Amino acid sequence: MYITEKRITSSLVTWEMNAIISLCHFCELHGPKILFCTQPFRPQEPRNLYGDDLETNIAHRLKSVSVAPNPSADAHSTPIFSTGSKDQCEGCKSVQTGYVSTDEDAQVSYVSTQQPYNPEVFARIRQACIRSLSSEVCPGREGPIFFGDKQCGHVLSYTFYIPDNQARGMHRWYSILIVMMDKIYLLNSWPFLVPHLRIVIENLQKKASKVFDQEEAKCPQRPLRLGAVVDPNNFIKQRGGNKPARSLQELTGDKSVFRMLHVAFLWILKACGNRITETLLEAPPTEDTIIDMEKQEETEEGFIKLFTRKADDFDSPHEQKESEMRPMEDKELDHTICETEVEDPLAPVVKNLRHLRKILESSNFLSLAHHVVVGNQVIVSGQQRPLVKSILETLKSFLPKGCCRVIPYSNKYEESWKCNFLGLSPEVQLSQHVTSSELFVHIEILPKLNILPLKEVETPLNSWSGPESDASDPDFDGDTRLDDFQFKMSSTVTLPPRVPTVLTRMLMALQNKNLSSEVVNAVFTCLKEEWMNKVKVLFKFTKAGGNRNEEETKKLLQIVGAREEDKQLLKFWITGLSMQYRQHILSTSSHSYKS
Amino acid sequence: MSFEDDETPCTYVGSFPKGFGYGPEEAEIEGPVNPGEEKPRILLMGLRRSGKSSIQKVVFHKVSPNETLFLESTNKIVKDDISNSSFVQFQIWDIPGQIDFFDAAFDSEYIFGGCGALIFVIDAQDDYMEALSRLQMAVTRAHKINESIKFEVFIHKVDGLSDDNKIETQRDILQRATDELNDAGMDNIHLSFHLTSIYDHSIFEAFSKVVQKLIPQLAVLENLLDIVISNSKIEKAFLFDVVSKIYIATDSSPVDMQCYELCCDMIDVVIDMSCIYGVRDIFLSRARDDGAFDNESASFIKLNSGTVLFLREVNKHLALVCILREDGCENRGIIQYNFKCFRAAIQEVFVARNKQANKSTGHPQMDLLVNGQNDDELDSDETTQTNGGAMASGHGLLNGSLLQDDD
Repeated sequence: MYITEKRITSSLVTWEMNAIISLCHFCELHGPKILFCTQPFRPQEPRNLYGDDLETNIAHRLKSVSVAPNPSADAHSTPIFSTGSKDQCEGCKSVQTGYVSTDEDAQVSYVSTQQPYNPEVFARIRQACIRSLSSEVCPGREGPIFFGDKQCGHVLSYTFYIPDNQARGMHRWYSILIVMMDKIYLLNSWPFLVPHLRIVIENLQKKASKVFDQEEAKCPQRPLRLGAVVDPNNFIKQRGGNKPARSLQELTGDKSVFRMLHVAFLWILKACGNRITETLLEAPPTEDTIIDMEKQEETEEGFIKLFTRKADDFDSPHEQKESEMRPMEDKELDHTICETEVEDPLAPVVKNLRHLRKILESSNFLSLAHHVVVGNQVIVSGQQRPLVKSILETLKSFLPKGCCRVIPYSNKYEESWKCNFLGLSPEVQLSQHVTSSELFVHIEILPKLNILPLKEVETPLNSWSGPESDASDPDFDGDTRLDDFQFKMSSTVTLPPRVPTVLTRMLMALQNKNLSSEVVNAVFTCLKEEWMNKVKVLFKFTKAGGNRNEEETKKLLQIVGAREEDKQLLKFWITGLSMQYRQHILSTSSHSYKS
Repeated sequence: MSFEDDETPCTYVGSFPKGFGYGPEEAEIEGPVNPGEEKPRILLMGLRRSGKSSIQKVVFHKVSPNETLFLESTNKIVKDDISNSSFVQFQIWDIPGQIDFFDAAFDSEYIFGGCGALIFVIDAQDDYMEALSRLQMAVTRAHKINESIKFEVFIHKVDGLSDDNKIETQRDILQRATDELNDAGMDNIHLSFHLTSIYDHSIFEAFSKVVQKLIPQLAVLENLLDIVISNSKIEKAFLFDVVSKIYIATDSSPVDMQCYELCCDMIDVVIDMSCIYGVRDIFLSRARDDGAFDNESASFIKLNSGTVLFLREVNKHLALVCILREDGCENRGIIQYNFKCFRAAIQEVFVARNKQANKSTGHPQMDLLVNGQNDDELDSDETTQTNGGAMASGHGLLNGSLLQDDD
């Protein structure tokens, strides 16, 4: 951010009326007036007001204009609202030019001027200003109030006075307005806005009362005014009220008061914008969304706290974007390879499940998927980091998010309680006790032996090299980068003969060529949610009712439409329930025990 | 509201009890009153700093004129509800001079529509040319909105002018204002001009005249007063609103400013005396803080100029104040009797008025209030009769002593 003083003309400023903060005062001579106004400009958004005049960078424009200021602009922007003959007095003036601050990251410029130059905005702010200072009644006189409507915008107005020993009543009225079109947003920001406005106001008042005390000590107003003798010779001269009102700078004794206000206002605008972000909620959140939300938890101070669960949920950081999480991983998993190299976009990767199925052939794919859904550990070892990672990423879509614990690439074996998806470098050898005790499926990615002619390798070895007859599938046409690899799959577990119901349905969706990949994704989401609901019922059943015998459980499974072969899957998926739901069930069930 | 008791220490004129005033100001209470029943409105307009708020404070809130130097500028319309007696019921809207309420942003129909009188205050100590053009604008526009509106021009702050200057200023303003109206073809509008100042009684007198025009029963009241004075050898009689010292009616003889001031001062004296000596139970009175001034209060004051002042309460807020020659009060009994007749007649006017109101309002609460008040007043009337005019309340002390002097 930087602050520059620029000349701003009415011709180039467009408006985004998300929120505008303005300082207004009640001028003794001219009535309610806008003094200072800070508004954000977002140059990247399309401009409807000025048609073709698409500006890409307002800061740039401002700079260019500052070189050649437009003299006609000032005449154009004079306020029309006044009854007095002289339109401007010291008290009604704030800044000749204005301030601009540009937030380069967010592509927002914050512009402070005396008045908004867009006539439409000006009309609204003026209206709000008049209402705030000469119509609305604030209980206790000083304080925040809310008013407004859809047409004129909704306004939070904080009225306050600044001591001035020259003024009638020894003080002058000011108000800070925040005008937004979004009523809900404004009211929800109230708890944030009001204390911060109060800080700004108290700052101004403190400065001004210091000046006031000094002036009062020098020249007490009370006896002066009471003792003033009016006689025909001096009455016009000595009537102090015709003196022009003093400016805010003079009242506060602070030359840079408007600069300070600019910074304060833009901070409020920016922080207020960051405080609440809107998410469109189309339906009740799925279990996956809740898991995502649990990982991000906003703290009081407005920072995003990363949700870290205890040892058994050790995975969470890994699911965040890798680049963001690096520093944390470094500390926690020093054994993990943490290369920050930029991934080669041409590196061979697996794009989606259909692609993976092509590569692995359906029978192997089926058993791999079966391993995945019942929670056996999946170990993928290979030299090619992106490929390993992409395989794990792809397989994750079989499971609800809560069930996925991923270590994308490691130089050391990790136990299955730590992760169910593990990428390994090929050098790692699985020790004897691992192969004997753990339930896992191991996929090795091996380079094809170059000495063998390509065609001979493909068929006899029954390894699954790249797609053989791809002509029918346009998706992966010409992708021959995976041709150089072969995949070897081995497992210590013998799978039950019958596939879980949900997996059968997932595979059916995959096989159906009429469905696009988006549709397949939607189907997967639905199926997972459907089965998570069954999992919830089961969880509730086991936790809530005390001991359950085999017979009862069987009955329940029958009711929810699960069969014998689904049992293992349901048991595994229970681990994927969100904390929120678990806590809810546990607290309610313990509660019911007590009562 | 632009004034708060706890913020600025306001000095009341004399020993005016707090609880006896109109109570706290109520700003912007816009109940669902149907327009027909709304109280008449008096708008105070004029340039900034012309003294609108000061007038309102001094007349209706007993603020000392010196204190008005420390009033802040009014930034919004301040509505003040004056509704103590049944006759004096209106709202005063103090309109800030900085804002043009004919602007499209405001509902000028609402502001001027239900308005009874428009007082335009001109600062006589200032250059009044701008004020005159504003006056012209306000009058023409308000007249367009509401034809029945009455226009009063206060040539204010005349305390700073010499007597010659006063006359000259009034003549000049009157000339220019009527000329401008005639030029605009609005010669059917009648402007009344008053020279006023908050440092003497002229502002009360001027306000009295404004208020009188808003009382529909004025003719009846004036007629009653005429009958009373002619039958009691009274020289001049005023029917006062005790709190504001506005007289809401007088007899048809011309009003002498000195007489009026004399009567105002008498009210002050009686209130002060009542506060000091007229309290039977000091603690009870403190608790109520009503100044021990009620509908039994009465007083005779004999001045050494051969004039006698006579004050008699009609109800809690209304008082009849009369000036008579010393020889006129020989027959005190007749005056007392005539007063009783007068009071009974005024009660009848009340009843008639309230009956009308009862018919038109559909508010049971309002009816109860009005009727309850009536019964109360009638009851008290009866007790006075049974006591045979003897002063039943603590004021007997005060009145008694005066009576003895007389005998």
